[in-house]
Amino acid sequence: MAELQLRNVRKSFGSVEVVRGVDLSVASGELVVFVGPSGCGKSTLLRMIAGLERVTEGGIFIDGAEVTRTDPARRGIAMVFQSYALYPHMTVEENMGFGLEMAGMPKEQRREAVRKAAEVLHIEQYLARKPKELSGGQRQRVAIGRAIVRNPKIFLFDEPLSNLDAELRVRMRLEIAKLHARLGATMIYVTHDQVEAMTLASRIVVLRSGLVEQAGPPMDLYENPDNRFVAGFIGSPRMNFLPARVMAREGQADAVVSVPSLENLMLKVPLRNPSATPSGEVILGIRPEHLSPEAAPGAVPVRFRIEAVEQFGNVSLLHAPAVAGDGIVAEWRGAGRPAKGDVVPLFIDPLRAMLFDPAGPRL
Amino acid sequence: MNRSARSTILLLAAGIALLILVALPFWWVVTGSVKAPQEIISRAPTFFPHSFTLDHYLRLLARSAYATYVGNSLIVAGASTLLTLLLAVPAAYAFFRLEFAGRETLYRIILLAYAFPSIVVLIPLFGMFAKLGVIDTLPALIVINVAFALPFSIWMLRSFFAEVPKDIEEAAIMDGAGPVTVLRRIMMPLIAPGIASVGVFAFITSWTEYVFASVLIISDAKRTVPVGFSGMIGQYQIDWGLLLAGAGLAILPVVILFAFVGRWFVSGLTEGAVK
Repeated sequence: MAELQLRNVRKSFGSVEVVRGVDLSVASGELVVFVGPSGCGKSTLLRMIAGLERVTEGGIFIDGAEVTRTDPARRGIAMVFQSYALYPHMTVEENMGFGLEMAGMPKEQRREAVRKAAEVLHIEQYLARKPKELSGGQRQRVAIGRAIVRNPKIFLFDEPLSNLDAELRVRMRLEIAKLHARLGATMIYVTHDQVEAMTLASRIVVLRSGLVEQAGPPMDLYENPDNRFVAGFIGSPRMNFLPARVMAREGQADAVVSVPSLENLMLKVPLRNPSATPSGEVILGIRPEHLSPEAAPGAVPVRFRIEAVEQFGNVSLLHAPAVAGDGIVAEWRGAGRPAKGDVVPLFIDPLRAMLFDPAGPRL
Repeated sequence: MNRSARSTILLLAAGIALLILVALPFWWVVTGSVKAPQEIISRAPTFFPHSFTLDHYLRLLARSAYATYVGNSLIVAGASTLLTLLLAVPAAYAFFRLEFAGRETLYRIILLAYAFPSIVVLIPLFGMFAKLGVIDTLPALIVINVAFALPFSIWMLRSFFAEVPKDIEEAAIMDGAGPVTVLRRIMMPLIAPGIASVGVFAFITSWTEYVFASVLIISDAKRTVPVGFSGMIGQYQIDWGLLLAGAGLAILPVVILFAFVGRWFVSGLTEGAVK
């Protein structure tokens, strides 16, 4: 277990700056997930923490000691690669024990440590096999085992589940969560999958274009995003963004907006920032589950013309045609089976709606 | 992919034609070496031997210095192969992994070494070796063979290194392995087919090298097979039986070498490493 600090970390490849000044503190025992679209710099950031990528500017500190220029092996970090990166010519036992061998641990002790780690991951019976004799899921366990066995201060995971099929991914996700609970280790996990981020993280760091957009506990980011990018990235299905016009201000906390794509519906939406002075065009953000057939107190009815329906069994997603910009998605958990072409009454809960400046920041 | 019957037949025919082209001389050498002398030189050559004798082989081993030539060749080819591998593997890894100024240019011009026919460098090399006093020694041949095998070996091995996924190397680095350990414990086992190919290449070029061996070696006791062998061709007559038996035996080490390293030529050594 260890604390990690990034201070104004930057990375350039030639003239292209891919990480543009990241400050972050990871507390001991935290599982922090870096999430963002591809090319946002999350993997580069992880590789800099690992020591596999040179830091262009700034510093990395583990337990207060600077490791910015320290060799990867001396940082007390273990990494699980997206591709597993097992040594194909070695058995599972040799794969897991290689790091310990490099650290000079005697053979008997090594065997014992590998056996213990293998038990945790339920791979004891595969110790004598080579990686090619294992399934994808088993290989992933070996890769995780190789990290565990070294008892590192910090675990790094670089999109470890992206090569697994959907079902296995869900299972391994749960196992990683259990492993974190069991080891209580500091873990940093990179993914582009916001579901993985939401389910695993004690804290999510959303990155875009080499900058931290927002960092915080998953539900904070979900319920209280700082900007339109985070609001859109966290949550599935994605938040609806509808162009709106501010008509009036009600007291300190609310703004009344008119929404052209919802038949000029008037909504009184709470402002997060009382000192904000929204005027003219804004973006209304509303999550699909807050646009539903059940009327919450204070909910406003809208007529919803269905263009397409996606059925998931427990829930249906209703799509309405786009008037301006993207289409609108609503969640239907009620009775009945709405079909394409139907017009159904839905309710918007304005208290759960958000307003964004067209440039992105939350209002 | 679906190939039409016609193109399959054409491919097959071309394959068979190539096979005949390559295999026929071998057949002629091997069968000729066991034929009676009259049959070898008979006006109508026989495809399958009508007579059988091991006399040529017995004469070859008993009356000529053939065994000495083979011994010399084995020393020269074996040492050249070993040295080539010892130098080419780290050099190729350095070309592949280390970043230094002019790396790409150097890597490209490395094959320029083959632009000069050996006969062109023969005379200056002879002069140099004479000054060093290494004329008529086997090490002189070894140095030459290594120098000629190295560029291609490095060039070829680098592409084998490039096939190893970078993650595996990085995983080893994270595990605390230094560059030499990464090379020895991780990379070398994974590029075994490449090392085997380069080894075979170095061995065969040394085993068959004639020009330098014929000039730098003077005494009969230090001759290698190709040179010693040419001495068997007399001025006025050729003992075909002896010659064919010698040629047959000369092929043997190469055949054994292929059989021995054959198991290294397996694909999919990195299978299971990634994904």
